[in-house]
Amino acid sequence: MASSPTNDPPLPPVKLDPLAGLLSYLIPGLGQIYQGRIGKGLLFFGGLYLLFFYGMWMGQWRNVWLPETDDLPDVAFAGQTLGGVPKAISYRPQFLGQFWIGAAAWPGVYQYIAFDKTKDAGPVFGKFQRMPEEKELNELQRNGNKRWDLGWVYTVIAGVLNLLVIYDAFAGPMFREASPEWLANENETAATAPPPPDALVPPDPPPVASIPVFTPPASSPPPDVPPAPPTPPVAQGGTP
Amino acid sequence: MNLPLFAVSIYWDLPVLLVVVSLVYAATRHDRWDKIVHEATGWGLRITLFLTGIGLVLYLLSTYL
Repeated sequence: MASSPTNDPPLPPVKLDPLAGLLSYLIPGLGQIYQGRIGKGLLFFGGLYLLFFYGMWMGQWRNVWLPETDDLPDVAFAGQTLGGVPKAISYRPQFLGQFWIGAAAWPGVYQYIAFDKTKDAGPVFGKFQRMPEEKELNELQRNGNKRWDLGWVYTVIAGVLNLLVIYDAFAGPMFREASPEWLANENETAATAPPPPDALVPPDPPPVASIPVFTPPASSPPPDVPPAPPTPPVAQGGTP
Repeated sequence: MNLPLFAVSIYWDLPVLLVVVSLVYAATRHDRWDKIVHEATGWGLRITLFLTGIGLVLYLLSTYL
């Protein structure tokens, strides 16, 4: 089915930019800055990092981690026993949303890889994004006045919002508009391009001189108009 | 006035969420700043009304029920 013509201005074709999408995954807004959309990039950078680290602060910096699951019971999914990262995510599904904030969640991945349960802290990041011990976790949830839980919700929302930011860098905003430069270039191209050979050309209008114009004859008799009937006399005064 | 609703500190964390979600979501839909601000304002108002309504219902339920 052919699309109906509209009066909307033409739009430039969508150009996918995987590199910008990758940059926006690493650091929110970096892909937009790379594309020259600096204001939006800074908005994404400041907004999402504010939300992510504000959430971590609400959780006393102990609500982003990927758990070590060697000592935990097996998890079955679709008839198969999970292991490794899928098993860890099944015990901490929040990290699946937090991960999309990008490099800010990589310490959690590093802590998961380098986890040593015989030590109290990790090798590089210490306790930052390291799985808390059960006793510490219980205290945080008991004494946190619900802010610990609300904190991880904020970090998950920041990560999921960054998926929209990644898509914006990859394929542009949801509602696209042509830039004035692109429109001017498009109009110039359309004006200078030769018409296609099979284009329908409307016929030339007839010359003005050939159009018959009515001119009344100079000595024409007046039209035969019948005289108006005489009007009856109007009675003056009332009847007796 | 000493309403318990305002004494609970968890509510004071919500404006950060509200502002960031509205602005970031609006900015992923448009490139022009006037449209971003317009859409973010609309979303901010809708989220505020929704959260206020939920908070009010919960407050009334916990107080009078």
